[in-house]
Amino acid sequence: MTPSMTTSRRALQTIPGQWGKSKKVTLSMTSSRRMLKGLGNVVLVLMLLWTAIPFYWMIATSLKHDKEIYGYEATLIPQQPTLDNYATVFRETPYLLFMRNSIVVAVSSTVLSMIIACLGAYAIARLNFPGRAFLARSLVFTYLVPTSLLFIPMFALMSALRLTDSLHGLTIAYLGFDVPFCTWLLMGYFKSVPVELEEAALVDGCNRVTALVRVVLPLALPALVVVTFFSFTHAWNEFLYAHVFTSTNSARTVTTGLANFMSQDVFFWGPLMASTIMSALPPVVMFLVLQRWVVQGLTLGGVKG
Amino acid sequence: MATSAPVSIPIPSSRPALSWKDRVQRFLLLDSTLGYLFLLPALLVIVGLVAYPFVSAIIMTFQAKTAGAPGRFIGLGNYRELLASEQFLRTVYNTVVYTAVGVGVKFCLGLSMALVLNQERFCNNLFRSFLLIPWAIPTVMSALNWRWIFDDASGLINNVLVRLNLIEETISWLSNPHLAMLSVLTVVVWQGTPFFTMSFLAGLQSIPKELYEAAEIDGASVLQQFRFITLPRLQPVFITAVMLSAILTSASIQFVYILTNGGPSDRTMIFPVLSYNLALGGAQRLGMGATVSLFFFPVLVVFIIFLTRRMLREKGE
Repeated sequence: MTPSMTTSRRALQTIPGQWGKSKKVTLSMTSSRRMLKGLGNVVLVLMLLWTAIPFYWMIATSLKHDKEIYGYEATLIPQQPTLDNYATVFRETPYLLFMRNSIVVAVSSTVLSMIIACLGAYAIARLNFPGRAFLARSLVFTYLVPTSLLFIPMFALMSALRLTDSLHGLTIAYLGFDVPFCTWLLMGYFKSVPVELEEAALVDGCNRVTALVRVVLPLALPALVVVTFFSFTHAWNEFLYAHVFTSTNSARTVTTGLANFMSQDVFFWGPLMASTIMSALPPVVMFLVLQRWVVQGLTLGGVKG
Repeated sequence: MATSAPVSIPIPSSRPALSWKDRVQRFLLLDSTLGYLFLLPALLVIVGLVAYPFVSAIIMTFQAKTAGAPGRFIGLGNYRELLASEQFLRTVYNTVVYTAVGVGVKFCLGLSMALVLNQERFCNNLFRSFLLIPWAIPTVMSALNWRWIFDDASGLINNVLVRLNLIEETISWLSNPHLAMLSVLTVVVWQGTPFFTMSFLAGLQSIPKELYEAAEIDGASVLQQFRFITLPRLQPVFITAVMLSAILTSASIQFVYILTNGGPSDRTMIFPVLSYNLALGGAQRLGMGATVSLFFFPVLVVFIIFLTRRMLREKGE
């Protein structure tokens, strides 16, 4: 590492006045580039290991028999791989019910927040009315207020409305995060759709509503995909509200369901890891498929980290 | 939008008067009517699910309230009790350490990951996708997985350390008062680094290559290029990512709740967990719980306002 560092420094000293001629400069540049590349590869390998080991442990555990998981015969690599743990999850726990609840809540809150957000974002991006800027600001502001500041009064509110232990209640509660976020994200995309297209549509006899549906939305399709991804995964991953608002299995989603397995002091890590993997799959698969757009959407502004 | 010219256009008298239905339709399609109409659902959501709960949280802080019963006004009683409690002071300290260290380490690791992934390499896209997966996994699932990794008896770490004969007795990563915070932070960093990587990588890719080429011709070393091109160009991304992460790290309950639930002896107690435990953990003191969160709101609100401005500026508002 040091030798090429010094050459590059020496090369620097030869620069003043004669940078055009010096071959040494480009030479040392490529060597320090190569060095950086090597360093990069080392760091990359470390990062990959750091990321992969927990995954490995999760998967390995889910494939082991209990005697390989605990005690003196515990192994690092499953010696006799088995799917028993997965079978146990389905046979002995209400995991399928949790799955179903998660899907219902995630899909319905996504659909609802999409509709509300499309309308709101269009209004902010395209229509001119007093109070527009203020409303835009309050949307972003509410998106940033963390739920841990709100869950206590929300719990009181939900109890008063008899919406605890219900999928309706959870769906509604999630709108509080999804709507501001989706509106804000869509706002940017809608603005990037050329106004001329819409004006042409208006001249051709569209009104604002039909222009939104026929011109703006089709053009903002990638944005709609990103927004769907974010609100779906948010609802799928959410823990605090789901945990606070439910006390029976009937409305538990996977996140709070699994956390609850653990707090029951039944230590069955095999099935727990199996169900953890299955619960993590939907958002991970969605992310891998939509990655390009998701990263783009993320850079357009903050996303829950 | 369209300003009418001061020339009055004669309306042909043959034109029929607008019917009632037409008038309603016209009114509805006015920009302002339509604007409010379109925003109404979103507004209802904000008011009902954020503003109202927020205001009632403030009111609750002045009440002794349990779930299901109406609150009794006790003035600043909750605040006084909290400030006098050692647990709360510990929580404030922990929250600050937890957030600062967590965000700091995530930042450094995220930046190095982004720099590495920005290099050209065989199969780079594949590596990138893989390194970002912890971000996509539900937080609860990572927390559960790590709780098992840290397990006293058969967890991965103890398992390996014993196998390598590095330790005689297994280490209680999550219940040792000196190690618990470190262990929890490890998980926070594992899960949170990809967010920084993603933000920084996108920032890096938006820096024009010409800048580096020009600097190279001028003989700037790689380090100088990093110092004078990369860092200044990434600064806006740095600020947004750090603030957002600070808000979310300090306010998210999952890791601590699942890994240690604040223990051992409050060593990992951070404010969302304390708030949860006070409000719903047994005694059901909703007022006290709300007071804990509200205590942190002034700090958070500074970040939130600052970020709101930045995020709207990016959108050209």
